[in-house]
Amino acid sequence: MLSETEAAELLSFLSPETRPDVKGQTTEYILGMSGNRDGCRFLRSKADLLHAVFALTSDPSIAIVKDCYHILINLSADETLHQVLVADVKVLPVLLKKLLDPEYVFADQICSILSNLTRHTKTCKTVLKVLQEEAGLSQLVTIFCTEGYNKKANFHYLGPLLSNLTQLPEARDYMMDKDRCVIQRLLPFTQYQASVVRRGGVVGTLRNCCFDHARHEWLLSDAVDILPFLLLPLAGPEELTEEENEGLPVDLQYLPEDKKREDDPDIRKMLLETLLLLTATGGGRNALKDKSVYPIMREFHRWEKDVHVTAACEKLVQVLIGDEPEQGMENLMEVDIPEDVEVKLKEADVKEQEELEKEQEEMRQEEEKKKSDAPGTDKGQDDGLTR
Amino acid sequence: MASKEVQHDSDDGMDEFMDKFKTQNYKNAFSEDNWEEEFDRIPMFMKKAPEEIDPQKYPELACLQAILHDEDRPPEEQAKGLKDEGNAYFKEKNYQKAILSYTAGLKKKCGDQELDTVLLTNRAAAHFYLGNMRSAYNDAAAAKKIKPEHLKALIRGAQSCIELRNFSEAVQWCDEGLKAHPTDKKLQELRAAADKHKRAKERDARKAKIKQKKLLAEKEALLAAIKDRGIKLLQSVKPRPSGSNSEDEDEGSSAAISQLSLDGLGSQEATGAQVFLDEQGSLHWPVLFLYPEHQQTDFISAFSEKDCFLDHLAIMFGEELPPWDTDRKYHPNNLQLYFEDEEKDTLYQVNQETSLLHALQHKRFFVKSGTPSFIVLVKISSFSKQFFTGKTIRNTMEDSSLLW
Repeated sequence: MLSETEAAELLSFLSPETRPDVKGQTTEYILGMSGNRDGCRFLRSKADLLHAVFALTSDPSIAIVKDCYHILINLSADETLHQVLVADVKVLPVLLKKLLDPEYVFADQICSILSNLTRHTKTCKTVLKVLQEEAGLSQLVTIFCTEGYNKKANFHYLGPLLSNLTQLPEARDYMMDKDRCVIQRLLPFTQYQASVVRRGGVVGTLRNCCFDHARHEWLLSDAVDILPFLLLPLAGPEELTEEENEGLPVDLQYLPEDKKREDDPDIRKMLLETLLLLTATGGGRNALKDKSVYPIMREFHRWEKDVHVTAACEKLVQVLIGDEPEQGMENLMEVDIPEDVEVKLKEADVKEQEELEKEQEEMRQEEEKKKSDAPGTDKGQDDGLTR
Repeated sequence: MASKEVQHDSDDGMDEFMDKFKTQNYKNAFSEDNWEEEFDRIPMFMKKAPEEIDPQKYPELACLQAILHDEDRPPEEQAKGLKDEGNAYFKEKNYQKAILSYTAGLKKKCGDQELDTVLLTNRAAAHFYLGNMRSAYNDAAAAKKIKPEHLKALIRGAQSCIELRNFSEAVQWCDEGLKAHPTDKKLQELRAAADKHKRAKERDARKAKIKQKKLLAEKEALLAAIKDRGIKLLQSVKPRPSGSNSEDEDEGSSAAISQLSLDGLGSQEATGAQVFLDEQGSLHWPVLFLYPEHQQTDFISAFSEKDCFLDHLAIMFGEELPPWDTDRKYHPNNLQLYFEDEEKDTLYQVNQETSLLHALQHKRFFVKSGTPSFIVLVKISSFSKQFFTGKTIRNTMEDSSLLW
């Protein structure tokens, strides 16, 4: 990597008084460095460089500010950088303040940084704490749900941010505060066509929230009515009988023939997992059974091609059509599983995963044989890195 | 009443004044019979305000009102007085009067934003209770403009939106309100209700759309079936009054379908019966039998195209002959069926054993008003002879030029 003198030289180039072209070249260079792991690790040890970069986010030159934000996005994608960024450079209060500014041009970049910083529990806790001090989670939700809050930013990455924050029980407590109207405002976004990031973030948030089974009754009640919003992305244009329609929740009745299902298989899987979570309690199972969710799942199962998603669907259907568990075991999340059974179940899970992978591989090979020259599109996993 | 105690140390004319009562009776005291009435006329003891304040009858009240509306007082005071007046009327559920007071208060343009907001919000409430939802909405919106966080205005606005069935907007009002008052139960309640209504409304629209589509498809299938059989429908010349019989008429339907609707539905004789296609793909027609000799008709609401005329005639003239058949001539084997080609003044004989479908498919058969009609005459009768004058008779079987 760089020597001490070289690093010192870089630092001098980053001072606000430096000529813009030199500053620009320096930030470009650092951006390149931040694009790979070794560069990141090097920068981790150079807190003063990081300070300088962060300071330049207030630079008059838009190009430089942009580079600096991209550097920060890259750095925040690496968990080992979190401590120095948050504790040393103390990025959070400044970033949060700018985030709330409806005129701030780089609000989306801030969302990406925060989203990265909240991936892992430790820094996530810190972010939540500072957030509650500076702005409050309520502000974040408001910004997320208000169209046109900032003309230059779309805030889609607040979705994953909220999802990450709800790993923490304090965040979930806030989201599901019965005296406020928070989670209800997120629900319509499960169908938000324009951004898969936003949609995925919201579904992730809902899934995390459903881990609190004490709140299931409330979530399924009219006060929140979470069920239709989970089912709508899974429902399709297939015509159901009048009887089947009338038994469904209102939002799922009489869907038009151009109804499309959720495109992204990961999101579909998350939705099914969320529904499965809701079947943990007897009340939840009854609610789903009462609302005739089964026809939707039946048609979905016919349509779904992805083996992992199909497996999740089958798990759900099994619970829906299965018998009620015996007394004392109604809450599936609180059942005590004897150790040997647990081991066996884990083994079965692993085996099932392997089989699914095999099946998927076979399917893929078949597909490739059919179109031998079509390159498979890189799904482009979002790891937060900007190059 | 007379006071026994006399203040000795007062030096105004109090002593003399009080002394008077020792000797004179108190005049104008309440008498026992009318004291309640009298009480009611003293403003302080009035239980409710009289409709009109007649200065003669209620001089004190008129005086108070004059004070209230005294133009010399500063506008804020006047406006506040009018607000109080409005509130008093409101309490009595006299909403019309309340609105007048509030309006007068607003007209003062006193410049006190707080007061104006309250006047508007209260007027909105009065309108709401009268059922004037649009006015209630407008007033709530005006109040919100002055003070965007005024809770009562926000609640009233949301409620009006719900009554006006603008559910999306109602939710917006609630969300705005919840920003400033996140824990307000009423707003949360209204939001949930509005959201629920909104989604039900969307469902109803979807359901109606699907139903409409289905109806359209059925109509098209029907039309196609008729066309495939080579049956001709006669277009009405007279335009039908809009919305007369066709409550399920689709606005954007094709001309052919509207023609069918125009012709097929409710002619004067029919009971709204229309040709339909059954599950096996057979058509059933409403059919008229005309008996010109006796000026009578028979109407069969659903004559299957597969049935032949004899099937029906045997029933209609089977057990009992109709009461109008005074000469007892109308036995099925005495009867001859015809259909009329009006354009060419021609009557075509129809064999009783033909099926309806066959008859309808005749080159010169035109279905008028969606209801095929057939003339029934007694064979070789004087009436028939008369009836035939000026008309050509053709036998549907013989004429080789006829194509089916």
